[in-house]
Amino acid sequence: MSRVRPVAWYTILIGLSFVFIAPLIWMLLTAFKTSGEATRVPPTVFPQEPTTGAFDTLMGNDQTPVLRWFLNSVLAATGQALLVLAVASMAAYALARLEFRFKRLIFGMIIATLFIPSFVLIIPNFLIVDRLGMLDTLWALVLPGAAGAFGVFFLRQFFLSLPRELEEAAVLEGANSWQIFTKVVLPLSKPALATLAVISFLTNWNDFIWPIYVLFSPEVLTLPPGLDILQGAYTINYPVIMAGALVASVPVLLLFMVAQRYVIEGVSRSGLKG
Amino acid sequence: MAAETAATGGQVRRTGPATPYLFLLPYFVVFTTFVLVPAVYGLWISLHDWDYLLPGKPFVGLDNYKALFDPGSAVYSFWWESLSATGIFTVLSVPLLLVIPLLIALLLNRRFKGRTLFRAIYFAPYVLGVAVIGVLWRFLLDPNLGVVNAIIGGSTPWTTAVPWAWVTLVGVTVWWTLGFNAVIYLAGLQDIPRELYEAARIDGGGKWSEFRHVTLPGLRPVLLFITVNTILVSANMFGQSYLITQGAPGTETRTAIMYIAQVGLADYKMGSAAAMSYLLTACLLVISVIVFRMFREKDK
Amino acid sequence: MNLSRRHVMGLGVGAGSAVLLSACGDSGPNEKVTGGGQNAAPAATSYDGPNVALAFWNGFTGGDGPFMKKLVDQFNTEHPNIKVSMNTYQWADYYQKTPAAVATGNGPDVGIMHVDHVSTNAARGVILPLEDLAKALNFKAEDFSPPVWNAGVYNNTRYSIPLDVHPLGFFYNKGVMEKAGLDPEKPPTTNDEYQAALETMKSKGIQGDWVTPFEFTGSMQFQSLLWQFGGQLFDEAATKATFGEQAGVQALTWMTDHVKNGYSPKNVAQDADIVAFRNSKNAFNWNGIWTINTLKEDKNLQWGVAPLPQIGTQKAAWAGSHQFVQFKPKAKDDNKLAAGKVFINWISQHSIEWARGGQVPARAEIRDSAEFKALPEQSAIGTQIDYLHFLPPKPGIADAMATVVTAINEAVLGRKEPAKALADGAAKADQLLEQNAKKYGG
Repeated sequence: MSRVRPVAWYTILIGLSFVFIAPLIWMLLTAFKTSGEATRVPPTVFPQEPTTGAFDTLMGNDQTPVLRWFLNSVLAATGQALLVLAVASMAAYALARLEFRFKRLIFGMIIATLFIPSFVLIIPNFLIVDRLGMLDTLWALVLPGAAGAFGVFFLRQFFLSLPRELEEAAVLEGANSWQIFTKVVLPLSKPALATLAVISFLTNWNDFIWPIYVLFSPEVLTLPPGLDILQGAYTINYPVIMAGALVASVPVLLLFMVAQRYVIEGVSRSGLKG
Repeated sequence: MAAETAATGGQVRRTGPATPYLFLLPYFVVFTTFVLVPAVYGLWISLHDWDYLLPGKPFVGLDNYKALFDPGSAVYSFWWESLSATGIFTVLSVPLLLVIPLLIALLLNRRFKGRTLFRAIYFAPYVLGVAVIGVLWRFLLDPNLGVVNAIIGGSTPWTTAVPWAWVTLVGVTVWWTLGFNAVIYLAGLQDIPRELYEAARIDGGGKWSEFRHVTLPGLRPVLLFITVNTILVSANMFGQSYLITQGAPGTETRTAIMYIAQVGLADYKMGSAAAMSYLLTACLLVISVIVFRMFREKDK
Repeated sequence: MNLSRRHVMGLGVGAGSAVLLSACGDSGPNEKVTGGGQNAAPAATSYDGPNVALAFWNGFTGGDGPFMKKLVDQFNTEHPNIKVSMNTYQWADYYQKTPAAVATGNGPDVGIMHVDHVSTNAARGVILPLEDLAKALNFKAEDFSPPVWNAGVYNNTRYSIPLDVHPLGFFYNKGVMEKAGLDPEKPPTTNDEYQAALETMKSKGIQGDWVTPFEFTGSMQFQSLLWQFGGQLFDEAATKATFGEQAGVQALTWMTDHVKNGYSPKNVAQDADIVAFRNSKNAFNWNGIWTINTLKEDKNLQWGVAPLPQIGTQKAAWAGSHQFVQFKPKAKDDNKLAAGKVFINWISQHSIEWARGGQVPARAEIRDSAEFKALPEQSAIGTQIDYLHFLPPKPGIADAMATVVTAINEAVLGRKEPAKALADGAAKADQLLEQNAKKYGG
């Protein structure tokens, strides 16, 4: 791609970065303040009496097994992301590339459910999950989330934008639909798949309302409802809130940076470097 | 499965008749169980005075829907006020969330040192849950004590008066979710074959014509997705209002979803809440049909 | 919707339906509590049955949690055949979770509810009557305090046993008062003194009493003032909102005048009043007893707390109350029900420990004890016990309360005149009360 003047380039990038990251740095610094200092007016930028008290509150209580919650969150979010990738990619491929009766109708129906506010589904889904005997288990977090229309719609749009030539070449070589799907379409779609994986993971990771309904035992909780327990009922303890947010968000940010490599990898897929 | 090769309407096909349905099957199992059945159940609920814990769930026909159009009902003014709040928010935020992330994606879709880091930075706010960004911004934007007013001077009521509250809600949302759309744009940009750019360069068009004739058409399906999804997410906005403005002043920034949640999950009037949900769904369907038409998929 | 969990606290109150009661009547607890022949210990003070495990859920996520945990541990030690395990959730989550859990047979055995949630949960069949426990222990209203004791009765049946009350108190920042030339040991107790103090501070450039337009704690302040001016939120049967009448307008106008007269800044955001107080930018704050623990974190802050000043024609204060409840089980288990009652009674008797966590015990004998009097802040707030007010025990009353919160918000933020805001809110509340009467068959 074209060259730009590096100085101007980085100035824009760094300037913009500041807007995005300043509030997060604020969050980081707040996590190391005392609760009194966190609400001081005018505010202090750097902690005057740095303390890990907020983290001690988070970690130092056998009533609140934060590591266990973390593990549960990883399991549920990973499970959901993998399941979404598997079922949505197959359905999206059929909807994007195969011809069959009622295709538009089926696609229309799937898309229409996107517009139903999730609140209305909570109680019916709760009753269904109960019927299936999945209450108070991580399955209750993995399965319903994987059923959303988002992944199918997302991947269908990406599959539509793939050039058809490679698939046509595979057909001429005698490949069937499954082979085309696994050997041609999926490898070409790494950026989209990686993106969807991150989005699904994150959606599950931050999900809050649903776990409140379906999880009861402390050892099955995930991070968002778990951390919430630690953020005192009536108090304005900002350091604990921010420390909890750090614990929950830093791993996801790292995951995103790793996943980015796959998104970038896509650039050179057809052997053409930019 | 019996393979057949046929060219229908310019499309190469090599599938047995059951193949497409087999591809759809796994998704349809979960979809039916956790979306379709609950959605139909929800419609059923909307025809009742429904509380899952009360033994009597009287059938009321379309009364829950009629109440939404009856100025004398308890829900009428709250419902339309909240729906218009959602409308205001959606109209203000969607254009920004379509354009700014595209610009950022174009900016980042180049090869330069540290681009992984920059991408992560722009995406970072989205990693945080709404609970955290809500508390964070309410704190930063406090009219009398907040850091923002301390820096810019004055006592702008960012969270307690309109129109400032709208500026806050839209601004925070753009800040928070921009990275999400930018990442999808970025993934979409990877799908555009390099050859097309090279051809455009040989044709001697400028940057702008390259963008118009290569980038935009290449992004069309992805753009459709982002447009529909952004409208959807904006129309479902809830947490930001709930945490930052709490609907204030009065109930002027209380969104439709916030009101639906209040009625359904706090007042336990699921029938009425379901009726509101489906009315909102209908509005969104109409809008999305228009959007789909605008993008008219011609690659069939 | 994660959200400031405390907001849900106001949501959901109860009263309601005879229909429902009959539905859960057969699983009502019985008196199989064994006293044992000659010892004849009164029922519900001991349990001799086989070993049972009890799940005890509550929302004590703050500094109060460890105090309750300690009590539970002590109870377990003293009762080898009862094992209580305590689960804590945020209150807002808790009130969503428990009905759902009970509906599917996953509910706990014993729990705590705020008094304004009791009748809604009774009407919805989430909790069991505790009539027999009260009778067995021969509890009377005077053993607690009539308003708090009576608040646990819905449809002539007792559903909860009070653990504590947590009233609003008057917090004053001694440093700011001193700076303004006021006597920091003499907080105002009447409206005249109050206004004089505000005027003095204003002349020194201090906005001394930030009025918050939000539920925490603006709506609690409004309710206290309303009662002080002789008003009521709702009529006796809770079929009509009366907060828009004369007393309500006086109460709300008193609050908005603070802003008009420059005693409070405009546009006070959620929590800004207490944050300003901690930063010595605000002198007076009407806040809940739970604020004691928050303020104690600030080692350098000089502050005190007193009963609410009397602004209107009589004394009155808002209060919440944590109350014990027993949840409706999937299958009736007499041993668990009996053990649960022993647990409730025992904790109630030992609630002085609980008071140290920042509460006023509901039990009069403990409130009158020297140990409680030795807790200066708690006992200062506790002196208001005889004029505390609670919401009428109607299911869904919180739906109507939401209109009060909105009216206060509109008025304090200057969007509407107090009278208009309250009248609009009352009209809405009337509609909601009518809807709920239909829904819960009240």
